Amino acid sequence: MILNEEQRLLRSTVADFLNREAPIEALRFLRDKEQALAWEPALWQGLCELGAPAVAQPEQAGGLGFGAMGMGALMIEAGRRLSASPLVSSAIFAQAVIRLCGNATQGDRLSPGLMSGENVATVACQEGTHFQPQPTQCRRDADQLSGRKTMVLDAGSADYLLVTARDQNGALCIGRLACDAAGVTITPHRFMDGRQYATVELIDALVDEWLQGEQIAVGFQRALDETTIMLSAEMLGGSRELLERTLAYLQEREQFDVKIGTFQALQHRIAEAYCQLELAAASVYSALSAIDADSDALSEHASRAKALTGDIYQHLSNEAVQMHGGMGVTDEMDIGLFLKRSRVCNQLWGDSAFHKDRFAALRGY
Amino acid sequence: MTERDLFRQEVREWLEAHCPVSQRQPIIREEQIWAGSRVAFSSEEAKAWFEAMRDRGWTAPTWPTEYGGGGLDTEQARVLEQEMIRLGCRPPLYDMGLWMLGPALLNFGSEAQKTTHIPRIVRGETRWAQGYSEPGAGSDLASLTTRAVDDGDHFIVSGTKIWTTRADVADWIFCLVRTDPDAPKRKGISFLLIDMHSAGITTRPIALISGESEFCQTFFDEVRVPKNNLVGALNQGWEVAKELLKHERKLMATMETITEKIDVGLVELAKSRLPMTDAGHLANTDLRTRMAEHLMQADALNDLNELIYGGMKTGQFDPAIPLTLKYIGTREQQRKDELMLEILGVDGLSMTSGKPDLDRMVRNWAYNKAHTIAGGTSEIQLNIIARRGLGLPE
Ligand SMILES: Cc1cc2nc3c(=O)[nH]c(=O)nc-3n(C[C@H](O)[C@H](O)[C@H](O)COP(=O)(O)OP(=O)(O)OC[C@H]3O[C@@H](n4cnc5c(N)ncnc54)[C@H](O)[C@@H]3O)c2cc1C
Repeated sequence: MILNEEQRLLRSTVADFLNREAPIEALRFLRDKEQALAWEPALWQGLCELGAPAVAQPEQAGGLGFGAMGMGALMIEAGRRLSASPLVSSAIFAQAVIRLCGNATQGDRLSPGLMSGENVATVACQEGTHFQPQPTQCRRDADQLSGRKTMVLDAGSADYLLVTARDQNGALCIGRLACDAAGVTITPHRFMDGRQYATVELIDALVDEWLQGEQIAVGFQRALDETTIMLSAEMLGGSRELLERTLAYLQEREQFDVKIGTFQALQHRIAEAYCQLELAAASVYSALSAIDADSDALSEHASRAKALTGDIYQHLSNEAVQMHGGMGVTDEMDIGLFLKRSRVCNQLWGDSAFHKDRFAALRGY
Repeated sequence: MTERDLFRQEVREWLEAHCPVSQRQPIIREEQIWAGSRVAFSSEEAKAWFEAMRDRGWTAPTWPTEYGGGGLDTEQARVLEQEMIRLGCRPPLYDMGLWMLGPALLNFGSEAQKTTHIPRIVRGETRWAQGYSEPGAGSDLASLTTRAVDDGDHFIVSGTKIWTTRADVADWIFCLVRTDPDAPKRKGISFLLIDMHSAGITTRPIALISGESEFCQTFFDEVRVPKNNLVGALNQGWEVAKELLKHERKLMATMETITEKIDVGLVELAKSRLPMTDAGHLANTDLRTRMAEHLMQADALNDLNELIYGGMKTGQFDPAIPLTLKYIGTREQQRKDELMLEILGVDGLSMTSGKPDLDRMVRNWAYNKAHTIAGGTSEIQLNIIARRGLGLPE
């Protein structure tokens, strides 16, 4: 990853902060809590004080001006430590949807709250068990929304929802409504990665407003692509952590009177995984710069980044478990937490198979 | 405009003026310009293109101008390479001296060796072969046994080298020879330049699965080699060999740029030959997915190359990454060949159908099997990545 001076400073500041405030034990703590908290308030507050939710946006828009590359560097660090926060749901996805699907007034009104972290929003777009970018059963009727959304990140702790639906003409529309609005039922649950997701049931729920940008469908696609790339950066961070932990174990554990890292069968497997990891990493970095360059090929970048990180994250998590032997299947080892996170990440906004299919379509075959 | 943009513009204009349209077509093997006393051109335009590049020193863009090279820095060379790719320019010259020996000689050679050999390499006047492997020394190269015995101002070389690519038409060969049989394996090896026209050298071609016989076994029977052809110090040949191997692997990782280009991309090939759905997708979804996987890896490999380049410039650079390139590049090349064969179906089962495009594709499929073997096998690459790159114990 090639960063400029400021971006490097940002990365190390965030890494220091996360080491202090959000090591992996923090995730264990969150996971084991009775109450379904989506994130630790102190951690989120600290991230907001650092300006994390405003990292990517240019200064004239009230952001810190580090670009997508800066935010990507931050997501990699978050991925290494499995830090749970509304960065992805609110600071990345919801911000992008408002910026790209709302009109200027809506942007000016809503973005500052999301950039300061004072408000947390989440986008409800998935329906059913497998991601599809187009809503099929969530419908708009005048100013009301009805339907059922699944896998909505952090919804149990957010302030408002951005819900995708089809209008009477079948066109995509996005409604904004408070989480406690009448007709909205949010049922949070924990997935195996210890984080909170919700099913959102809408019955004639009255929206506060519709996003009124000129090209909602195009804008939403771009917002999804940007978010998918940022998630890929997180997945890359997780994969790197798995590789490093496994390498350390191979150099420390002894059997047959030698380090297990001397066994060629293991060396070749880890070397091969390393090659795949670097290919995925190169794809993530170029996807991040494609966001900054406002590239026309963003969807292709997003699909490649997501498919390659999805494959290597899952593969390395399996290899890590195997190479840790019996220790690998204990909850005491953090490896299992990465294993589970990789599976959840794979499902978010299209799994590897989805993105390979989309990549082929984008390549015209 | 920055200096770099200016340079790019100048290069672009120069290439457009000097690279004939016929030399912007994908290269095929019969039309490659191999250096040496037997150099042959497929056309006047091919010759003109070669000479234009040669006279600018751009056959060896980064080598010093005092030896006839182009004198470009890495950034400029990169621009030249990018512009050549953009226009589709064919490589102007093929030679192992250019790819491998030259960089090592610039590093380790004596002044006399440099002034004798480098300008002739740049100008394509000598064709070089590589004499490393032996029947008993492949991956375990350091166990080589070809002997060079001290005989005053000469060495007397005896033994045999194998897989010596095109040694039958080479002018010179660079060899690893054993000069101290009693020293530990790697400490008794020296690096020698040997004139292929010397008395006592014979070659025997070896037929390959692609139907070609590019390789030879080369026999040395008491060949006299002047001592000033020793590169580096006596018994220090392993250091030179390692340096040279680095260049060989870099080359192998980007094999696509120098080997025969298949004019048709995989996607076009598949679309023109296989059933498609109404949505315009390949009906064979399994093949479609595997193609997507390969295309993604190929794009990612390009990005990785860019990243290494950018990283070297800015110092943000994991030195383990370049070790992966040969392994990945050759793997993806073979993956592409297999996909192509699968797309061709029955049409992919002959190397002698008489349809040149098809035959070439199928021959390449067979030929490229060698890429995961030559220059250090894929297994050896993985050993290197694991041990040198990732720090695992031997
Ligand atoms: C196209 C081509 C061009 C070539 N050109 C030249 C040339 O011009 N000059 C020249 O000198 N040589 C040349 N070679 C030779 C090439 O360098 C050797 O073939 C290569 O080093 C492998 O050696 P080998 O063939 O003896 O295989 P072996 O070393 O016998 O290998 C056999 C198998 O064992 C595996 N293996 C060996 N050691 C290990 C290990 N430690 N760990 C795991 N697996 C291992 C290998 O990966 C391989 O799968 C060329 C080869 C090819 C195919």
